[in-house]
Amino acid sequence: MPETVSLSASSRGTRTGVIPIVILTLACALSFALLLIYRPSVLGDPATAAALNDLLFWNSLLPRAAIALVSGAALGLAGALLQRVLRNPIADASTLGIASGAQLALTLGLSFSPLLIGASRELLAFGGGLAALLIVLVLSWRRGLDPVTVALSGMIISLIAGSLSVTTILARGEYAMSIHIWGAGSLSQQNWNGVLSLAPRLALGFAAALFLRRPLTVLALDDASAKSLGVALQTVRFAILLLAVWLSASVTATVGIIGFLGLAAPTLARLCGARTTSQVMLAAPLAGAAILFLADCLTQLFGSGFSDFVPTGVATALLGGPLLLFLLPRVHGFSAVTAEAGAGIRRLGAPGRMLILAVLLVVSLGVALVLGRGDSGWNIATGALLSDLLPFRLPRIVVAMGAGAMLGAAGLIMQRVTGNPLASPEVLGVSSGSGAGLTLALLLFGFPSPLLMIASMAFGALAAFVIIMGVAARSGLSAERLLLAGIAVAAFSMAIVSIVLAQGDMRGYILLTWLSGSTNRAGAFEAWTALISLAVLVTPLFLMTRWLSILPLGSGLSRSVGLRIMPSRLVLAVLAALMTAIASFLVGPLSLTGLIAPHLARLIGFHRPAHQLPATLLIGACVLVLADWLSRVVIYPYQVPVGLFAALIGGPYLLWLLTRRP
Amino acid sequence: MGLLLRLENHLNDPFSLTRRAMLAGAAALLATTGRVRAKQPGPRVATLDWALLETLLAIGANVVAGTELLQFRQVAVTPEVPGTVADLGLRGTPNFEVLRFAEPDLVFNSNFYAWADPLMSRIAPVESHSVYVPGESPYQLAEKATLAIGDRLQLASARSLVDELSARLDRYRKELAGGDGRPILPINLGDARHYRVFGSDSMFGEVLARLGLRNAWSGTTSYSAMAPVGIETLATMPDAWIVLIPPHPEDAFRELVEGAFWKTLPAVREGRVLTIGSVNPYGALPAASRFADFLAEGLSSARNR
Repeated sequence: MPETVSLSASSRGTRTGVIPIVILTLACALSFALLLIYRPSVLGDPATAAALNDLLFWNSLLPRAAIALVSGAALGLAGALLQRVLRNPIADASTLGIASGAQLALTLGLSFSPLLIGASRELLAFGGGLAALLIVLVLSWRRGLDPVTVALSGMIISLIAGSLSVTTILARGEYAMSIHIWGAGSLSQQNWNGVLSLAPRLALGFAAALFLRRPLTVLALDDASAKSLGVALQTVRFAILLLAVWLSASVTATVGIIGFLGLAAPTLARLCGARTTSQVMLAAPLAGAAILFLADCLTQLFGSGFSDFVPTGVATALLGGPLLLFLLPRVHGFSAVTAEAGAGIRRLGAPGRMLILAVLLVVSLGVALVLGRGDSGWNIATGALLSDLLPFRLPRIVVAMGAGAMLGAAGLIMQRVTGNPLASPEVLGVSSGSGAGLTLALLLFGFPSPLLMIASMAFGALAAFVIIMGVAARSGLSAERLLLAGIAVAAFSMAIVSIVLAQGDMRGYILLTWLSGSTNRAGAFEAWTALISLAVLVTPLFLMTRWLSILPLGSGLSRSVGLRIMPSRLVLAVLAALMTAIASFLVGPLSLTGLIAPHLARLIGFHRPAHQLPATLLIGACVLVLADWLSRVVIYPYQVPVGLFAALIGGPYLLWLLTRRP
Repeated sequence: MGLLLRLENHLNDPFSLTRRAMLAGAAALLATTGRVRAKQPGPRVATLDWALLETLLAIGANVVAGTELLQFRQVAVTPEVPGTVADLGLRGTPNFEVLRFAEPDLVFNSNFYAWADPLMSRIAPVESHSVYVPGESPYQLAEKATLAIGDRLQLASARSLVDELSARLDRYRKELAGGDGRPILPINLGDARHYRVFGSDSMFGEVLARLGLRNAWSGTTSYSAMAPVGIETLATMPDAWIVLIPPHPEDAFRELVEGAFWKTLPAVREGRVLTIGSVNPYGALPAASRFADFLAEGLSSARNR
């Protein structure tokens, strides 16, 4: 469906829209009919069985169908509101961090439930979701709420909130169980309470949306026209945002995170021919209801007995990634994101600056090695004590160093190959891709060996990066859309991870441990893996620095200087994917080191790849070694995952980069 | 009406059973371990595994370090962890430096934390005893581990723990033989709409079998437990006793028991719900003993009313 916004499109749209409407309605009706026929029933003596089957029908099956419709409609409406008010076609409770914020608040609430017994789940979820959205908006305010900045900030806030949730879960964890699974978007119901609490909210939200119809239409124009039409712009915007957060947080509190529905519903509404604000506001909730209803019927039908196939929320998240990729060409207008070098210590010569970096790394290594905490406070380990502690400290320091350097190099390659200053393993979804690879290995082999794990992670990472590059090459996406393609790939990969996570068995525990990213388990094998792969993968890069300086200039120029584009890109992609996979095997998926190390190198004044590469390696190593040391000492003897610390350093930095004026 | 009232008593005061049963359990444990507890500092031992930790504590070993003690004291409750035991931090990310400072002579480990063997063997010799292995009986493995650890540490209390518990389970089995013969459904509540169930291959399932009781859950479980199961499935087991095992989120518990669905369940209407004390679902013999005490006490007191 081409995006032709002409006046005649409306009538044409309505006609072509009939077919998807009919198909969707039929699919919903058919799957519900099948569910009614094939639903499992209680056996036993006829009288009791009949009574219980009645109970299940009236108090479980029907309210479940109703809650799917209501939640879907609420999320669809919230998505439509968010997209309209932010003028952002990819705004959604999940891309804006609202869902993760709500989830984090609920997780914290559950962990400290004795303290929070007074606060209701809805209130917690609303607070968390609103806080996340406010942070995202504040961060992207200076760039005029530019859609990509908003989405990227949302992604980073989601990442940080998600990793805080995982840490909280692990902190209370039992062997294989986690409270994570309770929030994974299962729609099962035992009464009408959920429906009764959500339905009035939906009705209220819908009424408010209708009431705000005119300002919403005006808001779709630019600020200047809106102001000239007399709309109290920011007040209305804020009111609508509050409404959307309230709707999606209520759904999250009632049934957990239902990924990407707010994205899918308005898109489907437009596919079905909705064009004006009123049409979209009416059609998006209907479309959301239909999608969630269908997904929920299917997951019940494919499950065995009374168990679902996958939690409904995960099923919709699987749709979200591809949908985002599909939407990308429709995202309009951004300002380019650039990172300028700071003047600071550039007066020093390149060798001098490199020397300083090397000294810094040595100092960090030294600090990490000798400075620690014990029962009686801080201590500096020397002599016998140091040689005692060395077997535990050295491997994790080596692992952090190697992983940091490799992530930095991978980030540098990605930034150079894509010509995008914000590209990095984490942002482009390559780290998450390796997680999907790990998940597949766990599914296929049960408990794979470390080498098999690395191999499958490399496969996942490469697949993710190739998809990203393919998307970029095909549609000639702008630099910023590339990042959104990365978010899409990451979302899809994480949905695959969530499926296994939702099983709550030992494999889920392995994934949770990987997700949280810890160097604590590093032993000789991991240390050698880090060192050897660092040597093997980084050395050839020094021979390719010419490619790295030419590729960002564009394919035309590259060809003209005799560089064969495809092979050189592919070799670099394989190297970057391998480095990402091994680093993410060692320290987990979310350190953001690959993003900040090349930037810091550039800020210090290393511009030519021949200089930027070694500087990036040194900085990446430094960042992760320090993060690892912090993770070890901050809440001694308990340990914070290193990836979380690095993300807490890297996330704000990325946001700062994003929010600087171009 | 009388049944309903009694049920409400249970629900309002989940500890009414706990206290009595705990006293019984504590007395039984003391009988076997009291002598050893009175200071006989054997080799200093440490472990990452909770099942082994409670075993070591129960047989009176000289434990110097264990993992997640804050949580252990809340979930496993007994045996009590002396204040001198060092906390190694999370089970997923144990702090090896703390372990090193605790100076153990011997470290016990299980298959769950096998990855840590090479690291810990630098501190002290590591011995592995697994209680949870797919396809094997956790109760038998727990007995085996207890005896092996007792042999290793030369603590006769290990043998008496095994024998006493086995005898106690036999006694309970005879006492319960005259019961209603209904199956038992041991569950953890996750939230107001989902629970985790324990199959025949779990420690709870094994204890049920040894008490001559039937496990109401006949479906599949992965690694002894299955989650999340929707609360509505409780309606498919109308004959069963529902045994709620804390810890569970207090608000979820209240929301559940106040709901109409819950009140309509045959088990609830007929007063066949027991809320017992917190038990570590992946424990060893001490957890089995706690569970058996709670269950025997709860079922027989329900029968006598």
